[in-house]
Amino acid sequence: MIKNLGSAWKPAIAAVALAFAFGCSPTETKTPEKTPEGSTPATTTAATTRPEPTGEGVTVTGDVIKVGVVGSITGDQKPWGDDSIEGAKMAAEEFNAAGGVNGKKVELVIGDSASKAEQAKTATEKLLSDGVVGIIGEVASGNTIQIAKAAFGKAVPVVAIGATRTDLTDEGTHVVRVCYTDAFQGPVMATFAFEDLGKRKVGIITDNKAPYSQGLSKSFGEKFKALGGEIVGEVFYETGQTDFTGPINEIKGKNPDILFLSGYFPEVGPMAQAIRAAGIGKDVPLLGGDGWDSPQLLVSGGDAILGSYMCNHYNNKETRPEVTEFLTKWKAKHNGKEPGTTMAALGYDAAMLMFDGLKRAKNLNSKDLIASLNDTEGFKGVSGVVNLKGKGGNPDKQALVVEIAPAAQGFQVFKKAFSPSDIK
Amino acid sequence: MPIHSLPPDLLLPFAGIEVSTLPQQLVDGLLLGFIYALIALGYTMVYGVLKLINFAHGEVFMIGAYCALFTSWALGYTPGNALASGQWWMLLVMLVASMVGCGLLGVTIERFAYRPLRNQPRIASLITAIGLSLLLQYGGQIFLPLNQNIDSKINPAAGGYTVSLGGGSAVDTEALKATVKTKQAAFEDFLTRTKADRFNLNDEGKRLRNDAQEAERELKTAADRGKGTTLVVPYGKLIAMVATIFLMIGLTYLVMYTKRGRAMRAVSHDFDAASLMGISVNSIITFTFLIGSVMAGAGAMMVATFYAGTKIDPYFGMVLGVKAFVAAVLGGIGNIPGAVLGGLLMGITEGIVSWLGFTAYKDAVAFIVLIGVLLLRPGGLLGSAKVEKV
Repeated sequence: MIKNLGSAWKPAIAAVALAFAFGCSPTETKTPEKTPEGSTPATTTAATTRPEPTGEGVTVTGDVIKVGVVGSITGDQKPWGDDSIEGAKMAAEEFNAAGGVNGKKVELVIGDSASKAEQAKTATEKLLSDGVVGIIGEVASGNTIQIAKAAFGKAVPVVAIGATRTDLTDEGTHVVRVCYTDAFQGPVMATFAFEDLGKRKVGIITDNKAPYSQGLSKSFGEKFKALGGEIVGEVFYETGQTDFTGPINEIKGKNPDILFLSGYFPEVGPMAQAIRAAGIGKDVPLLGGDGWDSPQLLVSGGDAILGSYMCNHYNNKETRPEVTEFLTKWKAKHNGKEPGTTMAALGYDAAMLMFDGLKRAKNLNSKDLIASLNDTEGFKGVSGVVNLKGKGGNPDKQALVVEIAPAAQGFQVFKKAFSPSDIK
Repeated sequence: MPIHSLPPDLLLPFAGIEVSTLPQQLVDGLLLGFIYALIALGYTMVYGVLKLINFAHGEVFMIGAYCALFTSWALGYTPGNALASGQWWMLLVMLVASMVGCGLLGVTIERFAYRPLRNQPRIASLITAIGLSLLLQYGGQIFLPLNQNIDSKINPAAGGYTVSLGGGSAVDTEALKATVKTKQAAFEDFLTRTKADRFNLNDEGKRLRNDAQEAERELKTAADRGKGTTLVVPYGKLIAMVATIFLMIGLTYLVMYTKRGRAMRAVSHDFDAASLMGISVNSIITFTFLIGSVMAGAGAMMVATFYAGTKIDPYFGMVLGVKAFVAAVLGGIGNIPGAVLGGLLMGITEGIVSWLGFTAYKDAVAFIVLIGVLLLRPGGLLGSAKVEKV
């Protein structure tokens, strides 16, 4: 997921937006063309476009293998940071208890991204100067892009936890992830809306400050149109905005029969309430991506968010042994509570994938680690099987569509699973 | 002529803009404008009396929202606690708690932050105000719960008025309604008959479902055309507007027709002369802060409760505070009717800008309007520019 794409993009976005705003009719500002060049999600990320880091890499000396973790310990995305770091810690304990890498233990060094791209970069630089051999993180794609850029020069691998932005892995061969991409997630929701809900007229509400949201809206819209649906309009808001009446009135005038909210949970919850208050009834369902994933959505969204659908990586109710085992271990450590977000499982998976890569690496060197990570085959994670060999860093994983239900019913109720072969 | 049927070529430059949403955007802008006005009063009153821009006013507003939040928790509406719809007295309790909380904070700030600096150069007070604002924002990050919102169920007046503005053509929707019903029944029947999973339908199921959806869409389009231009005004926002109007009438009475109000006006003209006339300047200034902060408290409670789901965090007062300040300057800072006028004007401008589809730029437009007005009338709309002797 993307939070911020660094300040360098902002002038570009503003310039494009301004050109549209003043150069032509407002309808054109509604086409999802406004993402700046290069940040448009590529349909397939060929391994050949990924630059190879040229640095000499970090070699492990001594008996301890230092691995960095970057997460949002503070800021808006704290629920994701807390869960993913906790998941990574659990993985490290388990891995060390099982003997580590030929007796060498891993030690996690943790950095705070403060839910900000700039902070993510600073935290990564600090970890790199501490001599980490690999970095686990982050959940938001905007932050992860900065991590990837910072780690490129030292040829240190980055295993992204929940960063779904499609072009993230174009940063270099050193970036791999354990989650699906927006090029998959958007079409999944579009197919679900068109085929399974029978909706034809979509209104898209995009967070103009979040590249994640822009990319997801684009991939969703393209697929929905390709299926034969109509995009009646796209309206915009910004991260941190609290009053949504303007865009909601605008989209209401277009009479959509479904709404796609591609932003993050802090804004989506209040917006859902505003949508219902504006008189858009429950016969117009709300749809979103994995950016919705926090129980806080139920508090800020109230009754308005119930019955909406979102895309997610895995579900606590799944019966695969990896899931039940993980949940048993998690509950034992957390007074019987299940993790609040899927980022706990993804954090655990990312860490385990990193450790698995360390075990398979020829030497304990970050460059060999990059090679072994990209050769991963059949890694059984909590969130599904991860295959990275020849995939350009993006695993082919399934995506689940879940319905938002009251906390008593488990928040996310599984509805339908999509595997990459379902989306063509 | 109903507005939605204006000749299309007249609107060519704005092709794609839905004319029918203009009334809704204007009304929403106006409703928000009343909130701006309420907060702007606090800025303008303090400036009128002290010639001080109280930058901490937005943070007083933020604390008001927290007072309302904590009161709602005390009344049992904690997150995750699903309760039935609230009672009117609960809203009143929240309003009073918020007003009292803000009033106390405002008076405390005046007593301990501004009074010791009153005879110092004015810049010292101004910087103290900015400092206080930052202190409350960042202090709040440590001591206050972040990312909260008031359970919208506490508001007993759910829903809103739907007003039809005419322009609809008489459409008989009965036949369409019947079609929708039969098609939906056919689909439901299919589901019960085959026990199929709603999300894994075979071709027949999909066809039936699509038919039902299509009929529903047709009905909706027809009903929409039948209604013409409609306006939805949530009860909550209406209550906020009425309450704001009452507060403003009360304030006008207080300032214009009471002895204390006359004293306030006297202090705003000249401290020394007022104290020579036997007015206790200190108590009047405290009183001014009290009234301004109480107004902010009322505004905060109404935004947090009636704008359902509004996120409450220590930055709650930042955007609204800045906009209210702009409204105060726009109307002529120090001038009470000016603050109200400025607030309403800001709200309506934002409504129009949103209607034109430039929602993302509505904050920028607010400042452009301010610059425009100040170029033509440096003292603001109702203010009088004073020439400073050098």
